[in-house]
Amino acid sequence: MMPLTLAPEGVKQTIRKINGKDELRRHLENLGFVEGGQVVVITELNGNMIVNVKESRIAISKQMANRIQV
Amino acid sequence: MIRIALAGNPNSGKTTLFNALTGSNQFVGNWPGVTVEKKEGRLKQNKEVLIADLPGIYSLSPYTMEEIVSRNYLIQEKPDAILNIVDGTNLERNLYLTTQLLELGIPVVVAVNMMDEVEKRGDILHIDALAKALGCPVVPISALKGSGVQEAAKKAVEAAQYGAGECKHTFAPAVELALQKIARQLQVAENQKRYFAIKLFERDEKIGQSLSVVPNVESIIAQTEKELDDDSESIITNERYTFISSIINDCLTKRNQNTFTTSDKIDKVVTNRFLALPIFAIVMYLVYYVSVTTVGTWATDWANDGVFGDGWHLYGGSAYTEDSEAYSEASTILNGFVEFYGEENVAEALNSESETYDVQNAKTAAETFAASIGMEDEATYAVVDEETMATEMVTATGAELAEAVQVLDDFDFTEPDPADYGLWVPGVPVFIGNALESMQVADWLQGLILDGIVAGCGAVLGFVPQMLVLFFFLALLESCGYMARIAFIMDRIFRRFGLSGKSFIPILIGTGCGVPGIMASRTIENERDRRMTITTTTFIPCGAKLPFIAMVAGAIFGGASWVAPSAYFLGMAAIIISGIILKKTKRFLGDPAPFVMELPAYHMPTLGNVLRSMWERGSSFIKKAGTIILLSTIFIWFTSYFGFVDGSFTMLTEEQMDQSLLAGIGKAIAWIFIPLGFGNWQATVASITGLVAKENIVGTMAILYSGGMGTVYENMAASFTVLSGYAFLAFNLLCAPCFAAMGAIKREMNSTRWFAFAVAYQCGFAYAIGLIVYQLGNFVLNGTFGIGTAAAILILGYGLYLLFRPNPEAKSKKAVKVNA
Repeated sequence: MMPLTLAPEGVKQTIRKINGKDELRRHLENLGFVEGGQVVVITELNGNMIVNVKESRIAISKQMANRIQV
Repeated sequence: MIRIALAGNPNSGKTTLFNALTGSNQFVGNWPGVTVEKKEGRLKQNKEVLIADLPGIYSLSPYTMEEIVSRNYLIQEKPDAILNIVDGTNLERNLYLTTQLLELGIPVVVAVNMMDEVEKRGDILHIDALAKALGCPVVPISALKGSGVQEAAKKAVEAAQYGAGECKHTFAPAVELALQKIARQLQVAENQKRYFAIKLFERDEKIGQSLSVVPNVESIIAQTEKELDDDSESIITNERYTFISSIINDCLTKRNQNTFTTSDKIDKVVTNRFLALPIFAIVMYLVYYVSVTTVGTWATDWANDGVFGDGWHLYGGSAYTEDSEAYSEASTILNGFVEFYGEENVAEALNSESETYDVQNAKTAAETFAASIGMEDEATYAVVDEETMATEMVTATGAELAEAVQVLDDFDFTEPDPADYGLWVPGVPVFIGNALESMQVADWLQGLILDGIVAGCGAVLGFVPQMLVLFFFLALLESCGYMARIAFIMDRIFRRFGLSGKSFIPILIGTGCGVPGIMASRTIENERDRRMTITTTTFIPCGAKLPFIAMVAGAIFGGASWVAPSAYFLGMAAIIISGIILKKTKRFLGDPAPFVMELPAYHMPTLGNVLRSMWERGSSFIKKAGTIILLSTIFIWFTSYFGFVDGSFTMLTEEQMDQSLLAGIGKAIAWIFIPLGFGNWQATVASITGLVAKENIVGTMAILYSGGMGTVYENMAASFTVLSGYAFLAFNLLCAPCFAAMGAIKREMNSTRWFAFAVAYQCGFAYAIGLIVYQLGNFVLNGTFGIGTAAAILILGYGLYLLFRPNPEAKSKKAVKVNA
């Protein structure tokens, strides 16, 4: 397992775990970040990234990406 | 009457579909109790059908205002059917909301949007399979192209008449068992039981409000959580996605499995670590160049000086400008010489406003006078800049005088009339003024109509053309998808002081004019970020404040070149300091530190949609901000042109302003500004008239400080010190903006309370800065120490405390909100 921030661009990853139990995690889940789901990093800017989750493009901050373990 | 709710994710094309369905039969209001905008409209083909446009949401969870508003509407108002629009290119995520809508016991029709894009990708959507799996009608549409839209509406109306079917999708057996147990304890309508059971299972904090009896189901939830080793809310989320995954392959056949779409490739360039900022700078420069410096300024000048001024030329304007400049330059030289030599008889003959003025007389007088001056003689005289009231000493020779008289002679000593050039259209005030004159309307009524009502309408409408230009660009940036990327690129920088990445645009536009600047904050979704941006945008000096800055710099600081840049620096510092201070206050607490937002795919905008969005924003400014601007302008007009002269209440001329009601108000409240060093009524009155338009400060100061011995500048310099002058400047730059901008603030805050907060904060902040500048400046430069100094030190200390105290949010983990 590694945080999503370390994942290379363009490679399909499976989400293993999302840390934390707050509303932000709920929001991530609503947007399609669920354990067992797939995620692809499209591009990265200073640690913030744009990822492909269930065919939608989501921009997340470095802080959030660090909580997603793949 | 059939009521249909339109629901869907953000970026699913919901607004486009709503516009296609209702056309112009729309009305905008507010959702009860909140500031989220509510749009309703009647179906074009069938006026008996009312469509409510719900806010874009990802889920029916209770975390954002939009979600709460939507679910309350669906549960309490019980619309007859839901038209659920889903993005076909992003089906899995969009169906997540669909599964929740299907549980409400309301008939649902799913409209799969962006079918043209799906087909272009070579994917195949199996409509029948999807309809069967979801247990509801499914219609393929393209909202942008308008195809399938009527079919979708028709299906929704049919569904409303037939009623809802059973909810098809089920969860894992353990979850279903728990839901059944909870449902048995519920006292709600049969078809709403599943929704409430699931919400109770998720431990939804807000669901109790919609239930008369809330059963205690904690033991059931705890048992299921233990069994499945997860918290109940995540269990449901996972179950929903599991269901969607199980049907998606039967419903959608994907052709190519390319990792990167075209949109992704664009993102790789546009949000690239090296290119992102340069590209952003170029885009911003273009927007600024067109909407502020070029087209925008033309539009504003045309509206303010043309339509609501003297008038404008349809063509042939440049010849007039040339002649008019030549004429006024020549008459300045002639008048300068006449003044220098003290020839009062000549001056009288040349005065075109005098009642005995005669062109022939003026000509003879000028030529005789010019003949008496030798070619080598010189004259030095003062020239006043009309915009800033600055005076400049100019020296001219007799040769120049001779030339000037020749020029005036060519014009027959008559000022060029704009109506003689090209096609001249008189402005509204001229037109109405002439009409009133010919009807012999009383002076006070003419004043009310021209200086009150017409000028007030001018203040409302004068900014609209420039705003439309800006809104066109904003709509373009939004609909092509770049706007969302701006937030992504700039967010890290702006987040530090409580603003959003998108706050950059309002502030940039605000350097031109605060009104469109504030209106540009519309693009910021997060309510807190938007309010923060609205409150701070007008700190940056706008175009109308420039003449005022120049006046203070010229009169009080001897034209020092650092004053103008310092005004911008002050504005920027005010934004940053306010951002940091406010984001730690209760009102703005729960700042969304982590940033999560969906980025729509790039696509070509359609002209119709861009124009529509432009017009909607423009007209909403006129409607919602118009009244406040109009009323305040009339109020200021009334108080400045009426007053008591020798004990009787009469109308005043401009020169009698010192006897007006406004001067009375100024005298009564001037003491407020004594601690800031400019507690004289002239400065107070000027600050009040500045609320109509900031450039009015210059005009008012010119009237109130003329007369007496020296020029306006000399009189001003005599009554201000360097410190009180800068305090006066700082206060007027930072305090409440003009009425037009305040109207925009009220419109965008969409709440009287927040509007009052913003204006009070701006005035309070401005006052504090003025106080600190004057009192501490006096202490440092002159060593004076008084109560004011102590107060200034206390305020500065408190400000520093607010600025540097730890963020209270850091302690409590709760109240995290997200960027939807």
